Amino acid sequence: MSLIQCQGLSKKFAEKNVLHDLSFDLPNGQPIALVGPNGAGKTTLFSILCGYIRPTSGTVSILGKAPGSPELFGRVSALPQDAQLDPRFSICRQLVLYARLQGFNRRNARIEAERVLSLMQLSDVLHQKPAVLSHGMRKRVTIAQALIGSPELVLLDEPTAGLDPVNARNIRDLVSEHSNNTTFIISSHNLSELEELCNTVLHLSNGRLQQQVDLTGTQETQNPLSYLTVHMDNCPADAFIRRISDLPGVESVEARQKNHFLISYYLINTSPLDQALLQCIKDSQWDYRQFIKGKTLEEQLFANA
Amino acid sequence: MPTAPAPSNSFFRSLWIIAQFELVRLFATRRGLLTLFTFAIVWYFMLTGPVMTAAEFIQQNASGSMPSMLLNSVGLGQLLAWPIAEFSAYWQLSLYLFPIFSVLFSADQTASDRDRGSLRFLTMRCSRDSIFLGRFVGQMIIQTILVILTLITTFIVSIYSNPAALISSLQCLLLISANLFFVLLPFTAMMALLSAAVRSPRQAMILAVLLWTLVSATLTSISQHWPMFEFLTYLIPGVHLDDLTELQPSETLSLAYIPVLQTLALLIIGRFVMARGAV
Repeated sequence: MSLIQCQGLSKKFAEKNVLHDLSFDLPNGQPIALVGPNGAGKTTLFSILCGYIRPTSGTVSILGKAPGSPELFGRVSALPQDAQLDPRFSICRQLVLYARLQGFNRRNARIEAERVLSLMQLSDVLHQKPAVLSHGMRKRVTIAQALIGSPELVLLDEPTAGLDPVNARNIRDLVSEHSNNTTFIISSHNLSELEELCNTVLHLSNGRLQQQVDLTGTQETQNPLSYLTVHMDNCPADAFIRRISDLPGVESVEARQKNHFLISYYLINTSPLDQALLQCIKDSQWDYRQFIKGKTLEEQLFANA
Repeated sequence: MPTAPAPSNSFFRSLWIIAQFELVRLFATRRGLLTLFTFAIVWYFMLTGPVMTAAEFIQQNASGSMPSMLLNSVGLGQLLAWPIAEFSAYWQLSLYLFPIFSVLFSADQTASDRDRGSLRFLTMRCSRDSIFLGRFVGQMIIQTILVILTLITTFIVSIYSNPAALISSLQCLLLISANLFFVLLPFTAMMALLSAAVRSPRQAMILAVLLWTLVSATLTSISQHWPMFEFLTYLIPGVHLDDLTELQPSETLSLAYIPVLQTLALLIIGRFVMARGAV
């Protein structure tokens, strides 16, 4: 069964079209990324998927049900962008309320609230009110509420925005750890983060689905070229391009950002390029920082922008 | 780790959990307790001022110092209808005072949650209907508790001054609490509806005042010009309050059908607004 199916989905606010005729089918399983510039319609799409707003036209089905239908309560949860907890109640009281609404009895609701807070390394704020927490801590608490009852699908709208690197790392680790039992859909502007976590990427722009990218590399393609992305450390770009272009099988070497190069090559009848490349770098007495097999997500999404 | 329960789709279970949480909001938060304290102060002055003064006045009249014809001529004849003077004064005061309290207390059923986004956490776990009705039920429970508490203070004052009237006082207490419950229903439902349409309790209160005065004036005017449309005035919450003051105590519940029908109509419209609106 598909996780999410959208057919001809459109949303209009007043006279402005925010989503235009979106159609896609997302499978259950590994985390899915939703990317796009500001105003692309990501949050609107999230809001429709969560049942917060209704589409102007088109159909949506999540786990075979309409968004907001009672069959999805407890199976789907979300971190809505900018949603705040009630400042009048302690974190514990609010998380227990949510757990009880999901079917936990009073005692287990309390245990579940403690569990999800400990996942966020926030056990010590159980009895605090949201107002005394920092922005980052409040965000992590709202992520914690999305994990109550281990739902099948969790939609996270910019989960690491505003978090420090350590906590952003923790969120990524948590998503990785739980992705066997829960499918995460993550909206973010941090492409390297999404690249690390997700196998499927939906790229929205101006309310339209630009592309659906498979990052696993298992997608069949007509292109005989393979790609290698190299991040060098203080290396003369011209010399690098000239010397790497001479390696067997290399079709082209393009400089991207400073010290970043995209190498296009043929796999046929050549020794592994990565070994030849390392040897060449060693012989030239350069240094490298990172090798990435294939194109970066940024390259795939925005190379022609 | 507790095992995740099967998703609970019980409408009434969710409704009851939401309603209970409203009680927590009043009795276990600083702002709620401050509201209760303020209410207690206001009520103390109401009880020691208008209620006890009026009760004294009624007792003097009952003992023959003022002809009842005089009271009837100024429209206060029904003050003598209730057997206990304190409850008689309470009845006249509460019929107009508690609807105002009701509008103030129940203005924020869903508005702040919508503005803050916390309604989004709830709608992932239970239906909008159970949130809407749960908040309404919670508000009615709170107001009923407050009404009963004020009635208990009046009861204590009445049996202190007249211990022999214990049974009559109890009967008054029960009858008035039942009547006020019905009186407050449509006001709370009106605030549930308005709260579902806006993003702040202040907006809900302003809308309530505007709608109540404009709609009342318009419908009353229509019914005066075209008597066949008089039934429209029954759409206004509190339309039967004047009639209630004219009735004998034993007859007061006979008009309960009016607020019940108004409440049903308001809740149906409010439920529609809540279901269609963005959260």
